[in-house]
Amino acid sequence: MAEKTWVRMVTAQTPTNIAVIKYWGKRDETLILPVNDSISVTLDPAHLCTITTVAVSPIFDQDRMWLNGKEISLSGGRYQNCLREIRARACEVEDKEKGIKIAKNDWEKLHVHVASYNNFPTAAGLASSAAGFACLVFALAKLMKAKEDNSELSAIARQGSGSACRSLFGGFVKWIMGKAADGSDSLAVQLVDEKHWDELVIIIAVVSSRQKETSSTTGMRDSVETSLLLRHRAKEVVPKRIKQMEEAIKNRDFGSFAQLTCADSNQFHAVCLDTCPPIFYMNDTSHRIISCVEKWNCSEGMPQVAYTFDAGPNAVLIAHNRKAATQLIQKLLFCFPPSSDADLNSYVIGDKSILKDAGIEDIKDVEALPPPPEIKDAQRCKGDVSYFICTKPGRGPDLLSDESLALLHPETGLPK
Amino acid sequence: MVTAQTPTNIAVIKYWGKRDETLILPVNDSISVTLDPAHLCTTTTVAVSPSFDQDRMWLNGKEISLSGGRYQNCLREIRARACDVQDEEKGIKIAKKDWEKLHVHVASYNNFPTAAGLASSAAGFACLVFALAKLMNAKEDNSELSAIARQGSGSACRSLFGGFVKWNMGKAEDGSDSLAVQLVDEKHWDELVIIIAVVSSRQKETSSTTGMRDSVETSLLLEHRAKEVVPKRTKQMEEAIKNRDFGSFAQLACADSNQFHAVCLDTCPPIFYMNDTSHRQDNQLC
Repeated sequence: MAEKTWVRMVTAQTPTNIAVIKYWGKRDETLILPVNDSISVTLDPAHLCTITTVAVSPIFDQDRMWLNGKEISLSGGRYQNCLREIRARACEVEDKEKGIKIAKNDWEKLHVHVASYNNFPTAAGLASSAAGFACLVFALAKLMKAKEDNSELSAIARQGSGSACRSLFGGFVKWIMGKAADGSDSLAVQLVDEKHWDELVIIIAVVSSRQKETSSTTGMRDSVETSLLLRHRAKEVVPKRIKQMEEAIKNRDFGSFAQLTCADSNQFHAVCLDTCPPIFYMNDTSHRIISCVEKWNCSEGMPQVAYTFDAGPNAVLIAHNRKAATQLIQKLLFCFPPSSDADLNSYVIGDKSILKDAGIEDIKDVEALPPPPEIKDAQRCKGDVSYFICTKPGRGPDLLSDESLALLHPETGLPK
Repeated sequence: MVTAQTPTNIAVIKYWGKRDETLILPVNDSISVTLDPAHLCTTTTVAVSPSFDQDRMWLNGKEISLSGGRYQNCLREIRARACDVQDEEKGIKIAKKDWEKLHVHVASYNNFPTAAGLASSAAGFACLVFALAKLMNAKEDNSELSAIARQGSGSACRSLFGGFVKWNMGKAEDGSDSLAVQLVDEKHWDELVIIIAVVSSRQKETSSTTGMRDSVETSLLLEHRAKEVVPKRTKQMEEAIKNRDFGSFAQLACADSNQFHAVCLDTCPPIFYMNDTSHRQDNQLC
């Protein structure tokens, strides 16, 4: 090591992902090994992402982490597992310009600082821990010059949060459940990249929720222990659906994709209902959204939109193409208009150009929307949806070389 | 003329899914508790007279058609079992073979709103079949009558008895062994109190007939439920009722209700019978 003090820092950006064939239930709680495969679509990090800066320096006397500006503890098993697994794979680092030379065996004596930030609210139930752990692992791997590829890194991220492993890739991703008891073969692989099916448009309805939700970790453990339907799902249903879904994605077969996505979302929630005590993640607004989509798909004869819900009331709607997405946002804004004092500019975020395509410039245009013809006596439920996010399938993790985006100060290694 | 009163019933191990749509044969057994007719019941008067020129029925004051398959099945099955009737006082003598030429009038009234979703067709068909059986002097016992009521509405068969009732799914193709039997009478566990919360509903609900058909056709979990889960639960529920074991009874009743709704959610398109208020009550109880 050089004698003068130094700070080595790396900043990464990671996307979040939404499962279209769901992960629900572990066969190993410590290693986070699932009872079935799952498949997800990665969302565009331009709209939803985690940014993480990791720094190492001899002046740091302990591992520390700040999440969205608040310091959090790294003592929990999940963080400890990720840190240990990455440290074990650290390699030599040399930066002559900065006078940094770290030998392989130096890493175990060095401490790291981590600052992480989600550009979407944690309370929105948009899988922030998936993006978070994926980013932590990816950033540390770059910091420590680990040689592992993204699949091998996903097996480490998996130990932080199961679904995090799928955020190590863009496009459509499969988490292979694996067979090994040590979980070394339970990892993510990319099925296709984000360009393969780039006409898909994704609209997320963030639904107002009055209830504190059951955590996924607790919920899926209760399901494994008490649902008599879960085992049948994991053994018989999911393996077939995984194969069909891989085909549908490969062939850009939206009809099959939509049918499978909706069916699997509903079956996941069915298993939650079959749990003791029963878990209700979807609420009346979620059901109303499903009903809207089902009626429209039925009236068109061919599915236009797929829906899927995670462990919360938010709807993730995947439209076949831009035209379908435009019609969808019109129907959604009719059924779920903003409250009178809301600002349209913050009611539809992400890719706001969808509003322009829909001919909507201000609240007056929303009020003037016609009712969807396929819904009898369509109701307008003001305030049921907090806001909408318009996005699309996106790329995997990336390093950010722009130092101004770093969350830690380059000299102190403390949050900016 | 004969007037009868019949109770409604609530399944604690659910019937959801038919293996035969015409004969109304279920994919699994079910068990129900009969509710006190003093609070919820159907009252039905049936009359026969040579002056009636066609079968007619009035439900809650409005005339309805008897041409549908379900009504026709019940009428035909009961008529086939009609016997001699003699009332010397009124000068009535009906021979067995006279019944096929005579017509009936039926008036039925539910003392609870149909829109409340409280299984009025169960009470209704049970009452129709029971009243006609008495009118026509049929010799069949209530289990045999339940096999006829079943053809009007599946769950109607369970309203032919009080207390706790089991609808045996049966094996025969003609449905002759798909009928209700009484497990215990209403005095066996009379300390139970039943409170029904009639929840405000803004939505028109999916009919049971359509819903369960969609479930049979599209739910990948239903077959597993019918083949593996319900048979075990039915045995456990019979034990719990026999032993007045409330802990087991409650666990089984709640679990089966939730699994039935889980299968509805696993249907294409998904069926949501419970709403936020239903869920809130669930949370209250924990």
